Amino acid sequence: MTTLVEAPGEDAGAEPETTRPRSRGLGLGRYVLVRFLLILPTVFVLTTVVFFLMRVIGDPITAAYGDRLTAAQLHQRIHEAGYDRNVLAQYVDYLRDIARGDFGTTFTDHVRVGSMLTTYGTATLELVVYSLVVALAVGPVLGTAAARLRDRGADVALRIFAILTYAMPVFFVGLLLKLVFAARLGWLPVNGRLTTADEIELEVRGHKSGIYLFDAMRAGDGPMAADVLQHAVLPAVALGLLSTGIFLRLFRTNLMSTLDADYVLAARSRGVGEWRLTTRHAARPALVPIITVMGLQVASLLGGAVLTEITFEWKGLGYELAQYLQARDYVAVQGIVVVLAVIVAVVNFLVDVLAAVIDPRVRY
Amino acid sequence: MSTPRPRWTAPARRRLAAASAVAASLLLAACGGSDGSAGSGSGDTVTIGTTDKVYALDPAGSFDAGSGAVIAQVYATLLDRPAGSSVLKPNLAASAAFTGPKVYKVVLKPGLKFANGNALTSQDVKFSFDRQLKIASTNGPSSLLYDLDRVETPDATTVLFHLKAADDQVFPQVLASGAGEIVDHTVFSPTAVTPDAAIVAKKPFAGPYTIGSFTANQLVQFRANPNYQGILGKPSFPTVNLKYYALEDNLKLDLQQGGVDLASRTLSITNLDSLSKQKGLTVYHGAATGFRYIVFDFKTQPYGTGTSQADPKKALAVRQAVAHAVDRPGLAAQVYKNTYRPVYTFLPDAVPTGSPVLKGLYGDGNGGPDKIKAAAVLKAAGVTTPVTLQLQYNTDHYGASSSDEFALIKNQLESTGLFTVKLQSTDWTQYAKQRVSDAYPTFQLGWYADYLDAQDFFQPLYGKNGFIGNHYEDPALIDLIDEQATTPGDDKRAALSLRIQQALAAALPVVPLLQSSSNAVADERVGGVQETLKTGGLPFGALKKAS
Repeated sequence: MTTLVEAPGEDAGAEPETTRPRSRGLGLGRYVLVRFLLILPTVFVLTTVVFFLMRVIGDPITAAYGDRLTAAQLHQRIHEAGYDRNVLAQYVDYLRDIARGDFGTTFTDHVRVGSMLTTYGTATLELVVYSLVVALAVGPVLGTAAARLRDRGADVALRIFAILTYAMPVFFVGLLLKLVFAARLGWLPVNGRLTTADEIELEVRGHKSGIYLFDAMRAGDGPMAADVLQHAVLPAVALGLLSTGIFLRLFRTNLMSTLDADYVLAARSRGVGEWRLTTRHAARPALVPIITVMGLQVASLLGGAVLTEITFEWKGLGYELAQYLQARDYVAVQGIVVVLAVIVAVVNFLVDVLAAVIDPRVRY
Repeated sequence: MSTPRPRWTAPARRRLAAASAVAASLLLAACGGSDGSAGSGSGDTVTIGTTDKVYALDPAGSFDAGSGAVIAQVYATLLDRPAGSSVLKPNLAASAAFTGPKVYKVVLKPGLKFANGNALTSQDVKFSFDRQLKIASTNGPSSLLYDLDRVETPDATTVLFHLKAADDQVFPQVLASGAGEIVDHTVFSPTAVTPDAAIVAKKPFAGPYTIGSFTANQLVQFRANPNYQGILGKPSFPTVNLKYYALEDNLKLDLQQGGVDLASRTLSITNLDSLSKQKGLTVYHGAATGFRYIVFDFKTQPYGTGTSQADPKKALAVRQAVAHAVDRPGLAAQVYKNTYRPVYTFLPDAVPTGSPVLKGLYGDGNGGPDKIKAAAVLKAAGVTTPVTLQLQYNTDHYGASSSDEFALIKNQLESTGLFTVKLQSTDWTQYAKQRVSDAYPTFQLGWYADYLDAQDFFQPLYGKNGFIGNHYEDPALIDLIDEQATTPGDDKRAALSLRIQQALAAALPVVPLLQSSSNAVADERVGGVQETLKTGGLPFGALKKAS
């Protein structure tokens, strides 16, 4: 879990690149290699934990058919499915299949987990991107305002807003937004990613990438693209607010620090306007730590996406994960969790690399 | 050194205002034109919402309500029931009858076709039944074909079903069940469950609708099948959309906002009650096809055969006292707001030949409780009161209302002063295993109809290796059940059914409590809902445009 960041990294972004001492850490290539190799144990540990946790909560055959089968029939079907085998043997088979890129077929609805991941993964990706856009658009803007209005009433209000959005459960925020802006005011759709008619049209056209906005734009269908955006507003805001508070506080703190820096004071003394001072001289260095936090936020957003997708009937990986968990479908849950873990690990890897490129001091 | 407080300059304010305007206009553009609904389509389209799931489109690979709701629209059976009737009629068949004790003959209508243009012949019928038995999927309904020996096809329109038992009166019901859906032999695998995508692509459908587009558990579009020749006729709605929801509250909201025209399965009692008060929506209650009951484990119940105080007479007295003391109308009204109804026999209302045999034997004679009779029966058997009952129930399988239901049962029993009830709930996975390993002396169960015949509520539950598994064994009752299954003639079967119900009422291996029915909520555009629910399902082809 990410924590709200109050203090900036030591003189983060305060100095021009040319004045920094040369890094004595690892070279970039070696750093990238080490960071990449760390992905494997991370995913392995998570996969193992998920596998054994799923075994603890009971077998899926009983969960699905226990109300219609006699004890003997139930036992026979558990045996046929191999769920009465030694857990370690099942685990070894599972790891072997994953290593071959085979995530198996879901037990409950016979879907290849690989194809399910591509079908629903794009929906989750679309939601996470929208929410990141909201967080990155709103957080730094409000952070700037808070920094500029330091210690005034508006600053206090914005900081309280940051704490509230971080502290409130995403499903609660989503439910509130939905009840007010969809159910009560009727400004936005209640549920889903598209109206039924548009969704069917997209299906019939048969060229879905899974990212609806892209599909609508590729088809040159403006109304459908607007429909996609209408449906995305509330889920994106609900999920985006989760990160907005963090970005707001982080940006405020960094901005205040850079606004006090000597080179900013020098610029101000040269008569540079406050707007230009903020956006050109102070904001850019203040953005650097946000890149690092963004990596951590992707994990939070994916976690939040599960609840957001259920709240808004957004049929993505999180939505499917909840459905399969309810059905105790081992195969599906394991596949989805592994993919989510890989996504988080890869994003963090990319963010680390990006941070290392921007600031050589982070290379250990 | 203090830093001068920064101030917004005029150009900065203008830029901020401009940026705000752009953001606001983008948001308005995104919001523009929204009517706040998901759009339920035109007058020819009806959108139905559900919280069920589809597990497979292959009739050999699924036997659950969610898959059945789709399968029933696109495939057809040889026999079926017209909307609002429980009487079987020829559907794909032109005629159907026993031609010998073990032979059931079906003649197909001439010129039958699947939606893909392929002819539907006796070859497809034989193929459909053979593959059910061959595949025998864990998830499929092949167990219903237990009495089918082989299928013979003398010509393109004649099918002879050779049965194992003579005069199997249940077999026509099985033909109309999920095990009897006819599929195209050129599309389906004879030995394996066919994937959904292959089915949707090749349109092997003989039912009222075909599938226009299919995204599993998201959205299914049904289109009227021009080649359909079954008893429902041409559908009133050429297009039906079926939308899937994870949360029933989301379904309810879309129903209220007009994004969904009809919701079937599964709205809670609270939501049904709330929706019934909304203008423009009507809540429909279907015929009861399932029932809920308390099971007594004959080994471990008080005075059970496996206890230190084993005494069959006292054990029976305990069961009878419970039957006297339980207040079914109270349960139905207080817990289920009368969406469930009291049941006084071992068959729900939608299943013919049910008779309220418990009403006269237990309670006040009018369906209410009677604690004086409960006390008397225990005293007569020499049972010391209060009797301690360990009562187990489940909340993740029979609905969250089970908690309220069993809390009220505890209250009802304890208020007589005759029982001390220890109530416990267990997660379904554990529950299903533990109940058959004698872990629970008394416990909750439910059963719903596979087909509308009394046999479906007798044989699987109380027959050899029956589902209930509470060590209740009565060879005479099993003989009666077998006789009822193979005796020709409705009156004779009804008489046998009554005898079975009376035997069960006397022995009380279970105490029936409530019967459950399917419910639906529809807006003003949709008619014919009540008729469709009379047989427990929701055939889209029987829905009508409201006048």
